Amino acid sequence: MTTNSSNLSIADHAIFVQAITKRFGNFTAVDHVNFEVNRGEIFSLLGPNGAGKTTIIRMILDILRPDDGQIQVLGGALTDATKDRIGYLPEERGLYKNVKVLEMLIYLGQLKGMSTHDVRGRALDLLERFGLSDNTKSKISQLSKGMQQKVQIIATILHKPELLIIDEPFSGLDPVNTQLIQDLLYEMKAEGVTIVMSTHQMHQVEEMADRLLMINKGQRVLYGPVKEVRQTYAQNAVIVEGEGNWTTVPGVKEVLAGRNGHEAKLMLASGFTPDDVMQILASRKDYTVRRFELAVPSLNEIFIQVVGGNGSRAEARFNDVRAAD
Amino acid sequence: MNLAKALIVARREYRVNFRSPGFLFMAFAFPLIILGIMFFITQFIIERETSTDDFQKVGYVDNADIVQPGVETPEGYFALDVPEVEAVPYIEQQLKDGVADAIFVIDANYTLTGQVDVYSQKNVTEALKEDIDRFLSDHLVAQADDLQVPAERLVEPMDVVFRTLDTDERQSEAALIGRFLLPTIFVFVFFIATSTTSQFMMGGVVEEKENRLMEILASSVRPLELLVGKLLGLSSLAFTQIAFWVLTGAVIALTTEQGRDFFSGAEFQTGDILLMIVLFVLDFVLTSAVMLGIGAAVTAEAESRQAAGFIGLIAVLPIAANALFFTNPNGPIPVILSFFPMTSPVAIIMRIGLTSVPTWQIAVSVVILIVSTVGVLWLAAVVFRLGMLMYGKVLTPKLLWQALRENQSTPVIEVLPE
Repeated sequence: MTTNSSNLSIADHAIFVQAITKRFGNFTAVDHVNFEVNRGEIFSLLGPNGAGKTTIIRMILDILRPDDGQIQVLGGALTDATKDRIGYLPEERGLYKNVKVLEMLIYLGQLKGMSTHDVRGRALDLLERFGLSDNTKSKISQLSKGMQQKVQIIATILHKPELLIIDEPFSGLDPVNTQLIQDLLYEMKAEGVTIVMSTHQMHQVEEMADRLLMINKGQRVLYGPVKEVRQTYAQNAVIVEGEGNWTTVPGVKEVLAGRNGHEAKLMLASGFTPDDVMQILASRKDYTVRRFELAVPSLNEIFIQVVGGNGSRAEARFNDVRAAD
Repeated sequence: MNLAKALIVARREYRVNFRSPGFLFMAFAFPLIILGIMFFITQFIIERETSTDDFQKVGYVDNADIVQPGVETPEGYFALDVPEVEAVPYIEQQLKDGVADAIFVIDANYTLTGQVDVYSQKNVTEALKEDIDRFLSDHLVAQADDLQVPAERLVEPMDVVFRTLDTDERQSEAALIGRFLLPTIFVFVFFIATSTTSQFMMGGVVEEKENRLMEILASSVRPLELLVGKLLGLSSLAFTQIAFWVLTGAVIALTTEQGRDFFSGAEFQTGDILLMIVLFVLDFVLTSAVMLGIGAAVTAEAESRQAAGFIGLIAVLPIAANALFFTNPNGPIPVILSFFPMTSPVAIIMRIGLTSVPTWQIAVSVVILIVSTVGVLWLAAVVFRLGMLMYGKVLTPKLLWQALRENQSTPVIEVLPE
């Protein structure tokens, strides 16, 4: 069986979701959502609060059952054996307060099918890597918030999952720990682990994710590679930084002030491309250009635009552009 | 269901709770404290009741003329002449003056009425009463030939034979005490074990909900595995506690003379003990499942305690209605309580101690208990699945009913946990 959106078979996808719907009474939390997560990629799940992200994740993990639709995880329906291959860090996460760090990690590792011997060795290695080797016998309640977050991350990756699902992984982390987690995720991706992260932090998605799914009010509003999504929303404009009278450049119909006061955003007339403008500027001695780039909107701008506007139209527009490509 | 995962949960629940101060106190310190208190009270009573040190001089007034000159009189006992008029004030004055520590007056009609009045300014101990009793017996025995009564009848006037009403079976006094005492021990052990363990049952689930651990656990184990694991672990913990108590009790009982007498004389019925064990296990699982369900349905420990208190009240109904059991153990209320699942084990065991319970009633009670235990376990699993991710919102019976009626895997919740 192959999926509709690509030539990959279901087994090639880490997650395959087809037309899932979840209702709570009269409220439809997730409405016919389709998407696939490819193996080995970082996939981001975006959406405002209450959009249905956590409900989708819970359905993938079989914590909730969809009312309609089909979900396949790591090549098949979710079984106990499949669960042991998944690491999950929910947004609302906690730990036993009066239990020692190592003891709790061993318990959670055992529940993922690891032997006591293996989980102990792996936990000690990870605790050392995260700078917590002196805290193996500390009770969770004795740790700082940052330390507790590290222990939660360790508990999630203890059993070397093939699929990692993390809800708001950077929430409440200081810059040092954020970098630590970011490096860890890159490292896991390099080892072939598939990572699904749900987050509000758009710059993290821009930086880390290969593809994204944006949902709003339970419906899919954007879906695809991050770069393509951003370029779809790109205007016919360029950002320049340098000296010269930008209004006199042929093909420029309007000049807008840039974000930092040094740059300028040149809105191009129809029939002119950024390549045409770059050639003109390169041939003219009265312009000095230190920076020249396409005016691609940030994901944050797209998020506000899509969520604030009509989500369905946004997806239609994105799909039209992709079809034209 | 993955039993291996349920066993991991069970081991963890057992180990963590076994080490908790609450369990250590209830399992080991609490019975030791109770034993200690009982020991001191007993010692105090024995010391007080078995001593005649405060009664060195005992006067007697023989109005019945039964004291025989040839019979040996205990040391310190002496005859007292009391005027016929104003006898009591005279006796009081003698006591005040320290002539005697106690004075007993043998009534003129003693041989018919057995009346003896004992006067003392101090608390009259059992030991003094026994001494006076022996004094009177000795003197009566000396006159046995004249009275044409066998001497042993005078020494032991009653020979009581206990018979059960249904079978007319002769039973020893110790066996009767055993029949009554065993249900009492059962009720005591059941309540202590259930109350201790149910705290852990609910406390553990509420903690996992409050600490937002449920979702992490739910991604590894199914709700039913978690429920069964907790039941197995905490039941084992309760049985450890009971085993310790029973063993300690048995050792103490067998190392004391009275205890040995009790065990050698009491004819425990094997059937009764087996029935008690079956009822105990079923009721324990039933109560635990109710407690786990409540733990999953509520949002805070305080709420869980209120609910546990209500369940506890239902369970103690047979104790509260004990007067009805004593007066008519086969009356309507004791029989109804024998069929109601939450009260039936205690009710049945209490009745067994007091009367012969019809076999059909025991059978119906056990069947109802088995069916309701299975039913409540199923319902607890449903509540557990529905309630465990409802942070900050109580799973009310209305929501539960709605979810069950619509056969939903999730309850209707207005605020999504997102």
